[in-house]
Amino acid sequence: MNALILFSHGSLLCGSGEAVEAHAARLRDRREFDFVGVGFLNYSQPSFAETVHEAVALGATRILILPYFLIPGFFVSKSLPEVLTPIQAQFPNVDFQVAEALGFDTRLADALWESALSARTADNDQWSEPLKRATLSCRPSPDCPLYQTPLCPKVPGEKKLHD
Amino acid sequence: MTEALVVMVHGSPRPVANKEMLRVVEELRSRPEATARFPIIEVGYMECNEPDIPTAIDQSILKGAKMVTAVPYFLHTGTHVCDDLPGLLEMARVRHPSVIFKMGDYLGLSPRLTDILEQRAQQKG
Repeated sequence: MNALILFSHGSLLCGSGEAVEAHAARLRDRREFDFVGVGFLNYSQPSFAETVHEAVALGATRILILPYFLIPGFFVSKSLPEVLTPIQAQFPNVDFQVAEALGFDTRLADALWESALSARTADNDQWSEPLKRATLSCRPSPDCPLYQTPLCPKVPGEKKLHD
Repeated sequence: MTEALVVMVHGSPRPVANKEMLRVVEELRSRPEATARFPIIEVGYMECNEPDIPTAIDQSILKGAKMVTAVPYFLHTGTHVCDDLPGLLEMARVRHPSVIFKMGDYLGLSPRLTDILEQRAQQKG
């Protein structure tokens, strides 16, 4: 069974995974892989290791790791091997492959252009809607450095993020 | 009305990390329909690199922009996108009350990226 795992950074705002989850859902719909999941390096859930475990439990024999990163920088070249090496040792019969980061692509210029064009004619605050959603889907996690601080979106009262 | 596009970028302690993003911006600058709409296209960095975002916005206005559209070159709605970038835009509105400011969706929301991701997966066979 072929699995695809989008490897993503994660955020203190645990609802920040909206975009990567949307890409995963679209890739799932295209049915090129039997399993499409997202695994986060930091803060957000599920962790990369948890998603690998899920894929293997479902029968994955080949796992393609797709970095959801703009460039093959520190997190892709250093952090990913650090988390992947012990997992590979745990599942010696699974074939792990790592794909390239987004890097350069003319379609990134298309995305930039389309975002700018629709912003020109949009209502002033339309852009802020996805930002608000990110904090709404946050969860109160004791692992988060913002937990129980005034900056946590889950703490009632005055805060900096989207009152 | 002269319009500017300001690309809001994270920035990196290793300037080489910006190479691909700068190629994407050059690609956009090479498109006649893009420069017809946005004769001024600037890049501004949150951290580490210059110009910073307020400087990039101010430069575009010095060059004659009466309307500035800012697009976050970010993949997630993390704290920078949610908290820091809107604040920078608000401060620019205060500095330049006669200029119209718009903010676009962050790059990660675009389904175009799904197509790129799919191709990256296919390249690995």
